[in-house]
Amino acid sequence: MSEKFHTELDRLKQDTAEMVQCARDMLSESLNALTGQDSEKALQVISKKEHIREVTIILEDRTYQLIALYQPMAKDMRVIACTLKMITAAERIGRYGKDIANMVKHLQDQPDFAQPLPIPHMAEQVLGMIDDANAAFQTENLEAIKDFSLRDDTVDALWHSIFRETLTFMIENPKTITRSTYSIMVARYLERSGDHACKMAENIHYMVTGERIEIK
Amino acid sequence: MTTDAIISTHHLNLWYYDTHALQSISMKVPKNQVTALIGPSGCGKSTLLRCFNRLNDLIDCVKISGEILLASTNIHARGTDVVQLRKRVGMVFQKPNPFPKSVYENIAYGPRVHGIKDQSELDKIVEQSLRDAALWDEVRDRLDESALGLSGGQQQRLCIARTLAVEPEVILMDEPCSALDPIATAKIENLIDTLKRDYTVIIVTHNMQQAARVSDNAGFMYLGRLIEFGQTTQIFENPHEDLTENYITGRFG
Repeated sequence: MSEKFHTELDRLKQDTAEMVQCARDMLSESLNALTGQDSEKALQVISKKEHIREVTIILEDRTYQLIALYQPMAKDMRVIACTLKMITAAERIGRYGKDIANMVKHLQDQPDFAQPLPIPHMAEQVLGMIDDANAAFQTENLEAIKDFSLRDDTVDALWHSIFRETLTFMIENPKTITRSTYSIMVARYLERSGDHACKMAENIHYMVTGERIEIK
Repeated sequence: MTTDAIISTHHLNLWYYDTHALQSISMKVPKNQVTALIGPSGCGKSTLLRCFNRLNDLIDCVKISGEILLASTNIHARGTDVVQLRKRVGMVFQKPNPFPKSVYENIAYGPRVHGIKDQSELDKIVEQSLRDAALWDEVRDRLDESALGLSGGQQQRLCIARTLAVEPEVILMDEPCSALDPIATAKIENLIDTLKRDYTVIIVTHNMQQAARVSDNAGFMYLGRLIEFGQTTQIFENPHEDLTENYITGRFG
């Protein structure tokens, strides 16, 4: 029985990692669609929303079944707990991707002022954190997530800087308000996604060591 | 949380002939709590349990070294009255083993052995013990019937009541539910939880979920050694030893 349980647990973990990857791709594709004003690509991202929702339910159900049938303990219990949290975080990240993709059509008619915002740099940071969290989840090697606190500080700093810069643009030229407001929202979604990556890292740390840490 | 230890062992060793069945076991069993001993078959948990009321004395060829303290008394001290010891440390076995007598006589037997003759006092003890074992309502009208006519779960609670009748300090339970169905098991588990108000319970079980549910502390044994002993939540959520981890997650055993 225990062999069957561990096979299923391994498979669940693998499928959860795939879901995280899918959500991460939604976020990165939505940013590409936004930068390139590519409405077709945006639609592709939006169409994945249903998929993410379905996968969430399927993976959660499989997790609940493992709990009900095997009452896992110790490391097994922690893997289950962490997996549930990973699923939730991935779903949130995927939905931010969908929200950003939705902006593409609203921005099509808006004048582009070519504002020099560090959003691509911020996206790179956040996507890197999601990748590293997902790798740590699969390999259980905590090396990749050990400097998350510092990386989260960078993301937070970028968010504040984008917020302030954008405010300046809006004050200077009210015609930029629509686009600027969307930029603020994108930066905010990225900041939230970075936070989800930190939460993932905290849970992965608990999964591997049994100890709780706080990434601030 | 620090509580007084009611039983403590210091470097307890036990041999059956040449087999070193318990190897240098040192542990403290906190008072008024439930302590579970878990481990694969043959790891020594029942042997350890049977040390606490010197049941192993009945087996030839057993040699024991080290110390077992009940409160602060060494139970192997010269002049220890084993009958008194077993009154203080009662035991419930895997298979319910009521005497082939009436329900009433099963409970009254122990107090009688210990010198209580007054009928009304015996009546009181029988009722109280059956109440404490959550059996009174089911058998109050059948006190004169044979105990062997009770269901397995009722028989096991009768054995617990029989143990309670002599007012022990510690109750040892060796796989008390393994012969019972899930409903009877749930009743015994509830009972264990209420018993710890007045008694200290040490339970040996193969059922890990049961150990996790009923106990406050848990000890994991393997090949005669106590590998890890700690609070149940710690043992089952984050064991420190790999052996414990592997056993409770079903990777061996």
